[in-house]
Amino acid sequence: MKLFAHVNAYSVDETIKLLAKYEGTAKLNAGGTDLLGVLKNRILPNYPEVIINIKSIPGLNTIEEDEEGINIGTLTTLADIIASPVIEKNYSLLKEAAGTVASPQIRNIATIGGNLCQDTRCWYYRYPDEVGGMIKCFRKGGKTCPAVSGENQYHAIMGAKKCFAVCPSDTAIALIALGATLTIAGAEGTRTLPVEEFYTPLGSVLNSGEMIAAIYIPKPSSVAGQRFLKFTLRKPIDFAIVSVASIITHDQGVCFDARIVLGAVAPTPVRALKAEEFLKGKELSEEIAAEAAGLAMAEAKPLSKNAYKLEIAKTLVKRLVMGLT
Amino acid sequence: MKDYRFIGKSTPRKDALDIVTGRTKFINDLTIPNMLYGKVLRSPLPHALIKSIDTTEAMRLQGVKAVLTYKDVPDWKAGFPHHVRILDSKVRYVGEGVALVAAETEDIAEEALRLIKVEYEPLPAVYDVEESIKPDAPQLYDQFPGNVFPQDNVVFGPHTLNEVVIGDIEKGFEEADFIVEGTYAYENIPNPLPPESPGVIALWEGTDNLTVWLASQGPQIFKAAFQRRMGNINLQSLGNPVGGSYGSKYMSWQYALPAVALSKATGKPVKFCYGKAEHLAAFTLRLGSRIHGKVGMKKDGTVTALSGDWLVNSGSFSEATQGMVAVGCGEAQLMLRCKNWSFIPKMVCTNRTASGQVRGFGGQELKCALTPILTMGMEKADVDPVDFFKKNYVKAGDGFYWRDGDWWVCRGIDYSNAINQGAETFGWKEKWKGWLKPTSVNGAKYRGVGVGVHGNADAGEDVSEVYVRLEPNGSAIIHCGIAEHGTGQRSSICKMVAEVLQLPLDRVYVTPTDSLVNPIEIGPVGSRGTYAIGGAVIAAAEDAKRQLFELMAPKFKVKPEDLETEDGMVYVKGKPDKRIPWIKEMQYYGSIMGHGRFESDFSIPNFMMIFTEVEVDTETGKVDLIRVVGTTDVGQVIDPLSLTNQLNGCLGSAGIDSAIFEETVLDTRLGRIMNCNMIDYKWRTFSELPEMEHSILETPFPTHRFHAIGVGEITPSPGPSAVLMAVSNAIGVRIHDYPLTPDKVLSALGKIGSPMRRE
Amino acid sequence: MTLTLEKSSHSTLTLTVNGEKHSFMLGEGPHEVASSHTLAHTLRERLGLTGTKISCDNGACGCCTVLINGKAVQSCMLLTVECEEKEITTIEGLGDPVTNVIDPLQQSFIDHTAFQCGFCTPGIIMSAKALLNENPSPTRDEVKEALSGNFCRCISHYHVLDAVMAAAKKGGNQ
Repeated sequence: MKLFAHVNAYSVDETIKLLAKYEGTAKLNAGGTDLLGVLKNRILPNYPEVIINIKSIPGLNTIEEDEEGINIGTLTTLADIIASPVIEKNYSLLKEAAGTVASPQIRNIATIGGNLCQDTRCWYYRYPDEVGGMIKCFRKGGKTCPAVSGENQYHAIMGAKKCFAVCPSDTAIALIALGATLTIAGAEGTRTLPVEEFYTPLGSVLNSGEMIAAIYIPKPSSVAGQRFLKFTLRKPIDFAIVSVASIITHDQGVCFDARIVLGAVAPTPVRALKAEEFLKGKELSEEIAAEAAGLAMAEAKPLSKNAYKLEIAKTLVKRLVMGLT
Repeated sequence: MKDYRFIGKSTPRKDALDIVTGRTKFINDLTIPNMLYGKVLRSPLPHALIKSIDTTEAMRLQGVKAVLTYKDVPDWKAGFPHHVRILDSKVRYVGEGVALVAAETEDIAEEALRLIKVEYEPLPAVYDVEESIKPDAPQLYDQFPGNVFPQDNVVFGPHTLNEVVIGDIEKGFEEADFIVEGTYAYENIPNPLPPESPGVIALWEGTDNLTVWLASQGPQIFKAAFQRRMGNINLQSLGNPVGGSYGSKYMSWQYALPAVALSKATGKPVKFCYGKAEHLAAFTLRLGSRIHGKVGMKKDGTVTALSGDWLVNSGSFSEATQGMVAVGCGEAQLMLRCKNWSFIPKMVCTNRTASGQVRGFGGQELKCALTPILTMGMEKADVDPVDFFKKNYVKAGDGFYWRDGDWWVCRGIDYSNAINQGAETFGWKEKWKGWLKPTSVNGAKYRGVGVGVHGNADAGEDVSEVYVRLEPNGSAIIHCGIAEHGTGQRSSICKMVAEVLQLPLDRVYVTPTDSLVNPIEIGPVGSRGTYAIGGAVIAAAEDAKRQLFELMAPKFKVKPEDLETEDGMVYVKGKPDKRIPWIKEMQYYGSIMGHGRFESDFSIPNFMMIFTEVEVDTETGKVDLIRVVGTTDVGQVIDPLSLTNQLNGCLGSAGIDSAIFEETVLDTRLGRIMNCNMIDYKWRTFSELPEMEHSILETPFPTHRFHAIGVGEITPSPGPSAVLMAVSNAIGVRIHDYPLTPDKVLSALGKIGSPMRRE
Repeated sequence: MTLTLEKSSHSTLTLTVNGEKHSFMLGEGPHEVASSHTLAHTLRERLGLTGTKISCDNGACGCCTVLINGKAVQSCMLLTVECEEKEITTIEGLGDPVTNVIDPLQQSFIDHTAFQCGFCTPGIIMSAKALLNENPSPTRDEVKEALSGNFCRCISHYHVLDAVMAAAKKGGNQ
């Protein structure tokens, strides 16, 4: 790996100051399982000059529950999230999502903040420099997205305009379904933001001087059914081809509230608002579920090689609504 | 069955302790004083002329010891026929070497690569095998007009098999009850992907001394091939434990030659190990295989004629494509007792990283494309595929052309018993519901079964030469140039010698894989470990024993053949009480050297059949492998655990899973391999293992001392086509586009349009 | 821009590996540890602990698995400078350092020939060791899950599962 300067940060404030000092030439290391790959393969046009280790900040890896909800420190590892009895009891959706990430070894060091901020897995974007040079795609300031007329089997089927890479985070869609908010620290102090508003087509709203400090999840209704489904070719290791998270509350088969979020189908996580609206007040049946799935994917326009993702997404939504696996 | 002391019993691998403690030294674990690190600058373009290269700045970087371009490297040529230079003025695939750097650290070498300035003149590129042979296609090599590799070569001698033409093809079709015809392909070019990427350390000293430490399945092959081409130098090749090869690290020149050139230029040892991205994007893959075929068949499943054009996509060069095609042609005949053939291969070069040797060696690539054509016929005749394969697999007395171009007559055994027992173990009768019919349906999940067959006549291929040295202290040293690449063969040959000489296993050793110490060894390839290498080992042990008895006989006043030996002592048969230790006659300064040699014998084919059960989710298109049963007859098991390991290997090394999710994804606009990392390249994990069971028969082969034959190499090859059959049966639609990823399954089910075919 | 190290700019680094402390100068020299070095690299190239293998070097194959404070992690995905004050255990650290008797888990791998080429074996053993430390009597499915990040291309999985289950069973009886 090419050399960089390395700095340990010991508080959020210090991190923000360091980010300001290095003026966009620094990257945060919140776990490293994504970052180190990015650095080793030299995929970025500008190699960072400084790596700021934030794992050295004490107290950011806690899970605290009160009556209203739960606060998760940004450095909480995915393994700790999976092992937390509190999360298992009231926020099982997040546990399920975290449990599908990568492998046990990765989950022991990958953090929730890192998982939310990870870079896309698009294989054009990630093409390693050592075999003929990295690819300067639209996301890196190039003119076009090579996936559009290329090998786009894993790319976006909706919502993409210039870059067809998808957001790979499994925990993001779980948190959006749960209505979670982020505490973001920056030079002007902290701000809170729903996870739903965090992502943009080319990444996130996080600017180069900010970091996620914590995640807050309001306590969902105890009768709400939380479900997470992720379609991959293999259970471990793989990033989602399609993932879906939902919280559906129903009484004797009649749905009165639903939140459905899709991952890996678009550059950002996608709320299936039309499907959610449609389901309210409906008696759940296979037909209703299929119709909801259709509405969820109504905007989809697959590329040359990823129409199958649309079918899978519809199937997953349908199965979620029906409570099937 | 004879009760042996070691043969057939599970014994710990001789190298087990080193492996489980991490002490085994693979190539990248070695360090040599003053060692430099080699790196390769790789082409961004699939086809281009190098107009200029400026290495000045790279040379100036502190710690850089050499920068070589096509102008500086020695003119050693590799491949068949010899056509691949270490570096050339023309690049033919993305990832081909453009310049070599040797530096004090890997990081410095890497930075130096960035300082090399190259100007290219891009040329149009071609990737599809049929596009490549069109008259107006871009031409890769001046010497191979039409992008076709010549077939007249010396891979397997002057008559190397280059087609199957037997009988009267027209008459054969006339005799058929019906004819089926189609084009099928196995072109997902999976990567065998051993965990240890290719690597080497080379040290060139003085004018003509070269030592290479190689991660290679056949380290002596490198010496045999290049010693003369390098000017008849003193070449010592040292084999290291190999971290997986599956055939791919046999012809090691692709990674050895750059290190040798750098060492020659610097006079220092140079280590050169591929990174995983290079391994996935710029090393050898399986062959691409496409067959336009036509089969004449009788209603009872008798094949009366087979004609076809076999288009073999070798990528940017031929490592040993002619050899793989020869063996594939031979293996087609083993699976099919057909009297009339006209099967014509064509070997084509295209602008992607080359295809090289992989477990299955041409035969798997051929089967995967040929079997779907045969199944069309089986379906039409409504013949059970198990019955079809049983009827058609080679039997004693059947003749076939093998790779050397000679006509061989099978002296092997009838594998029908193995087929019957495998079918029984799998429950084939209960699960087989007929062509395109699922075994069971549960909601959206459809199950289906399929079966495939494979075998080769290479278990007795090529020459092995071995010395077994008896030491006065009652131990034996096997001088054999075999490398350990995972099969446990170095331990198994110890068992054979221990059995012949009745020595404790811990008194039998193998010399290091060193060409200065050992006679010629072709290597553990083509399932030849047990029969060919084992044959030479056993002969050497027997020869040593004969000499021992000749030495000891006067002491006992009997004839040598009246003697026995056990645990380093000799006694007269039937009188085990009076024993004399070897040392008594050998003296402490004595030794006995037994010699054994094995010469090719292609008359004993081996056999492997694989049954698969899959479950297809018809709403997502996902294929899950539920159950695998392998069946074979090995004559005599040498080591039960090593055998089951090898049989379980059918899933890996671009085997069965190349029908399910394994593929190399090539972007044919850029010429780049997109999934060159181990997340996007799919491999089977611990989480989703199918049930695996084997039925292993032991019908003695009379021609081997322990009546055994090897099967390791062939285990994956029947698998992919068996999966196609199983999925087709599950979903009721013929499907044949490897691998059967969800897009293809959903498309076959008519749920989505056909995904745009890759060119 | 001049690169300066902030608070962490101590010029030495101490690692605790297999119970022994090792100090390094920070830097790019042949015996120093650079900020960009991964733990896998340092273990192999600075401490000669080559039992930890590098295969994918991208966190996907598990060949470089070591234990940090008892948990299995991939040492290719950790920067060495971030591993101070942690207990690092590598394959060389298993077994009894006094008697030289190997760990029962290692012995079970030998007894079941739970490897072929053996390249992935140290990583697999370390993942299994982490599991058994936490859960001495796992089910076969729990073993599969614990090893789900470990690549093995020879397909020794089935023998590995037998070996780990047998070691767990033996451990439970003691």
